[in-house]
Amino acid sequence: MANEKYDNEKLDVGGMINQAITQKIDYLTKLKAAVTRHQDAEIYRLLDNQRYAAEIEHREQQVNDAGVMNLVDNLADQLSDYLSKSLIDYLGKAYPFFYYEEYQTGHYRIYFGNWWDRRQFGELDVLNIRFAFNQDEYNKLAQSFKLSEEGKKYNSARIQKLSEENDHLQSLIDSGTEREQEKATLQNELKEANSRSGLFESSKNKEARQDIIDRISELEDQTEEARGAQAHIKQNNQTVLELSKENTILSYEQKSIIDTFGSFEDFELANRNLYAHYLKHLSQQDDGKQVADHE
Amino acid sequence: MSNEKMPETATEKVQALSDSLTNGLRLGEQYVALLNELCGKADPKDLLTATVKLAKIDLSSPFVKFPQHYQTADYYLLFMGRLLDLANISGLSINEDETEHRLSMTSTHFENIEFRFELDQQNGGAFFTEQEKHEPLFYLNLERKVLRFSNRALVNFFVIREINRYSDLDIQATLQSLIDFSKILVNELGFTVDLGILDSSNEVAFPLQAPELDLTVIDRLFVKTTDTEFMLLSLPNNNGALLDLDREIKLTLSYDPDDYSKQWYFHVSDPDEQYSLFDILLHYDMIRDWYLNNREALAVRSDPVVFAD
Repeated sequence: MANEKYDNEKLDVGGMINQAITQKIDYLTKLKAAVTRHQDAEIYRLLDNQRYAAEIEHREQQVNDAGVMNLVDNLADQLSDYLSKSLIDYLGKAYPFFYYEEYQTGHYRIYFGNWWDRRQFGELDVLNIRFAFNQDEYNKLAQSFKLSEEGKKYNSARIQKLSEENDHLQSLIDSGTEREQEKATLQNELKEANSRSGLFESSKNKEARQDIIDRISELEDQTEEARGAQAHIKQNNQTVLELSKENTILSYEQKSIIDTFGSFEDFELANRNLYAHYLKHLSQQDDGKQVADHE
Repeated sequence: MSNEKMPETATEKVQALSDSLTNGLRLGEQYVALLNELCGKADPKDLLTATVKLAKIDLSSPFVKFPQHYQTADYYLLFMGRLLDLANISGLSINEDETEHRLSMTSTHFENIEFRFELDQQNGGAFFTEQEKHEPLFYLNLERKVLRFSNRALVNFFVIREINRYSDLDIQATLQSLIDFSKILVNELGFTVDLGILDSSNEVAFPLQAPELDLTVIDRLFVKTTDTEFMLLSLPNNNGALLDLDREIKLTLSYDPDDYSKQWYFHVSDPDEQYSLFDILLHYDMIRDWYLNNREALAVRSDPVVFAD
């Protein structure tokens, strides 16, 4: 009995292996055919059947076959490179303001815009048909959109603060002569007050003397601040230029998004639907191809 | 002259005086003939020859005294006026100062501004110069057949000063007459003309005077484009910037990436080759402010041989 059962199981295992290998071969054969014929939609379906079923065929709970899913894992970069051509062509029209740089096989950096001093904005995930935006940069843009509703710009508050600081510094520089004159006058007064001081100094004189000393020290502090003011102003101006540049970049980005999508919300919506939209686009293309083939 | 024998007898002396007077009178005849040519001939070549000769004639004879006569600079101006008249180009006219008998040119579009030629004592030729601040707008050398506009003077005179007094249309109309004059020189007399920043051809590029350019200067233009309809784009090789203006006008500031010296150039292009760098500076406040605020860095080079900047 025991042996019999063991043999049966042995048979079953053999059958199971055969079946599993058949499934793997079947999968790889399909993938090979799709690659040969450049049927990108079919490749995407094979790479992630669960997502394809849910988003394209609207069949939920279709799980990926664990037995075949990781068969081409070590080809991910090559597949990404292979699939990128059509995807980037499509994105060139759908997102005309994004530019891509393949910095290693199958890996793409996204640049926002072709303008002076554009930003690197994240990476393009070709196999999953999604943008992996740099979160810091993306948040700046989102924030900038929010601020623009109030007529403000991302860095305007900081620029305003630096400009005020520069005004203050400039007035310190400009008032240098006045300050020296006041100090000279005060020093004379102090000399006089000192001459009246002594063992029996009136409290009034004592108070006046202290006031003069305080004022002189205040003036000296200002002179000290004025001494580094020119360099400080220059440094602030440099910072203002950097901040203004960032404002400009953000305004270009906002303009591009509005020109293409109408609003930031519609841009985000398009990003969420990119997978479905792109595969729909591919299938329409394939239909077109088939029609052409029949003719 | 030194080896000539000094006249000794009375007859010889009278004869010598007579010869000198004859020379003086001949000179006078020659002068009158040249003046007639300059005022009467219709062939630009004759006008050029007469002007060149008039510029060289020396009327200071000790024996024959000529009445008030014009100066070389006046003949240049007459020559220019005659060429414009013959080509039916209006807008510039020549007037004579009643007391000094000096000639000057005025534009119908510019009130109260006079132009005269001022001679270049070093290189020969003369500068066409406005008479208030003496900006030499162009250099003209009739013997070397060269006309060259001064980029620096054009900016100083029109873009900084006159733009506050006159409309861009008036400025452009005045300049058009000057450009037309230079074209006559090219077509009729084979002159070499350098229009400088007035050249609207898409082929020309204008090297900057400064050997290097701090990129923050371009940053400043970039910042200025915020909330305008224009965008400052980066060139594909990161070798400069392109400002995309309306009417498909493109202003670039770039260097040749293969050129070791990294010489920066301005370049303007538009579909009909209608607009020059000068027009861009005149028309777009944003670009003009940027150019003038950063002029030390952005100034376009003028030919150093003729225009000492």
